[in-house]
Amino acid sequence: MREKTLIVLCIVAAILLAHNLYVILLVLPDEVAQGPIFRIIFLHVPAAWTAFLGFLAAAVASALYLVRKDLRYDAFAVAVTEVGLAFAAANLVTGMIWARIIWGIWWTWDARLTSMLVCWLLYAGYLMLRHAVEEPTQRARIAAVFSIFASVDVPIVFFSIRWWRTQHPQPVVWGGGSMDPAYWNMLFLNWVPLLLLGMVMVVIRLRQERRQRELEALRRMAHAL
Amino acid sequence: MRAPVKSPPETARRAAAPARPGFVRGALTIAAKDLRAELRTKEALNASLAFSVVILLLFSFAFDPTAEQTRALAGGLLWLVFAFAGALILNRSFARELPNDCLDALIASPVSAPALYLGKALANWVLLMAVEMVSLAVFGIFYNAAWTRRFGLLVGVVALGTWALTVVGTLFSALTVNLRLRELMLPLLVYPVLIPALLAAIQLSGPLALGEPLASDMMVWLRLLAGFNLIFTALALTLAETALVG
Amino acid sequence: MDERNFLYMFYGFLAAWLILALYLVALVGRERRLQREMDNLRRMIEEKHREAS
Repeated sequence: MREKTLIVLCIVAAILLAHNLYVILLVLPDEVAQGPIFRIIFLHVPAAWTAFLGFLAAAVASALYLVRKDLRYDAFAVAVTEVGLAFAAANLVTGMIWARIIWGIWWTWDARLTSMLVCWLLYAGYLMLRHAVEEPTQRARIAAVFSIFASVDVPIVFFSIRWWRTQHPQPVVWGGGSMDPAYWNMLFLNWVPLLLLGMVMVVIRLRQERRQRELEALRRMAHAL
Repeated sequence: MRAPVKSPPETARRAAAPARPGFVRGALTIAAKDLRAELRTKEALNASLAFSVVILLLFSFAFDPTAEQTRALAGGLLWLVFAFAGALILNRSFARELPNDCLDALIASPVSAPALYLGKALANWVLLMAVEMVSLAVFGIFYNAAWTRRFGLLVGVVALGTWALTVVGTLFSALTVNLRLRELMLPLLVYPVLIPALLAAIQLSGPLALGEPLASDMMVWLRLLAGFNLIFTALALTLAETALVG
Repeated sequence: MDERNFLYMFYGFLAAWLILALYLVALVGRERRLQREMDNLRRMIEEKHREAS
């Protein structure tokens, strides 16, 4: 993707974010029970959605790599995983800040926060695994197998921790139940700029992977001389 | 009349092609080999056992073993011990094949990669079960727990949880066998993946290890554990060839 | 309580954007490092060519 396209995407995202911020802060009414801090949900939830999309894409890319053996799939897998981790971290931190206000404590072992933490650890492990292997083909193969295992595990983690929490109820981060349609619309509306930013980051990261490969080719040529 | 002689190409072919062992036989052969090797030296077994006893001892300093709260921690304590002791055994699983290119020889052998993986997983499972049974006895003594009261169900739960540990751990052991920081990477990668299974095992083992019955709503954990085992065994067998060979 | 509520909302927004910005900074830093290494290698190859000829 060309520089110009990336910059245009960034500008579109910035405009959307600015508009959404205005609506979030000044137009939407206060949530009755929680007050202003509730508005953090419009970053907290779409960040999670973006992260999950990234992890899912990583799993698909990993499987495709194992089938086609094209290193470009591996580059895509690491790019979306890294970006997904960044968004997952944003989700965790906003969740903790929310919990601090509503419950007075930074961490509550709430089902969704805990599951997201486990997810984060899983994919951080994926990055660590990649750092431990130097040969590109071997690294791609090992990382792909782990990514597939991790992605199969994610739904099981969410289910099991939610069941654990229904057996031992603790403070819940987001109450269930229906939300006002205005809030729902804003959730999706704010997801769009986050997705755009995510895509820009993935493209930048992908280009770096390609450049890394060019670098290694150059290095081999330099040592051959 | 000259007796009919088999044509040379056919005899040569039959002599050259080794009999390919079936999947189950291959796996059992590998499992037996690993168990025999381990039982001769008992290195990993002893280390694992010693480690588990030490952890149980340390925990008795951290928490008063007779207090009511400690009894609530029983499940978690047991599975922490099993998970850490298991890491020792799992690490050695493929690492013991590294010297003298044994791993290359195994991969080149007629045993298929999934059979090789399954054999090692079975051997690890047996070894880990042995360590866990002894740990349970020590736990019973240190913490005054009536662990034999629901023996059948407890062993069943421990067996399922151990299989989960073994299935994922053996595959990741194959995956990380050539890595620099293998001893560190293996637990770091395995434990997060195992969290649902460990959670289920902890919830189920807690009451059972103290001799108490399981509440009816605990059956979901049993189903979760069984489902986890099924899914990851299938996944591991599918990816075994990729993990070992590429 | 309502005061802190408002303040923490801003902290929350700030934290989320800070994390994403930090990742972007890391990306840009990596880009610069890669560019520098490439330039070094290219220079090294040119020097070796000049020496050979």
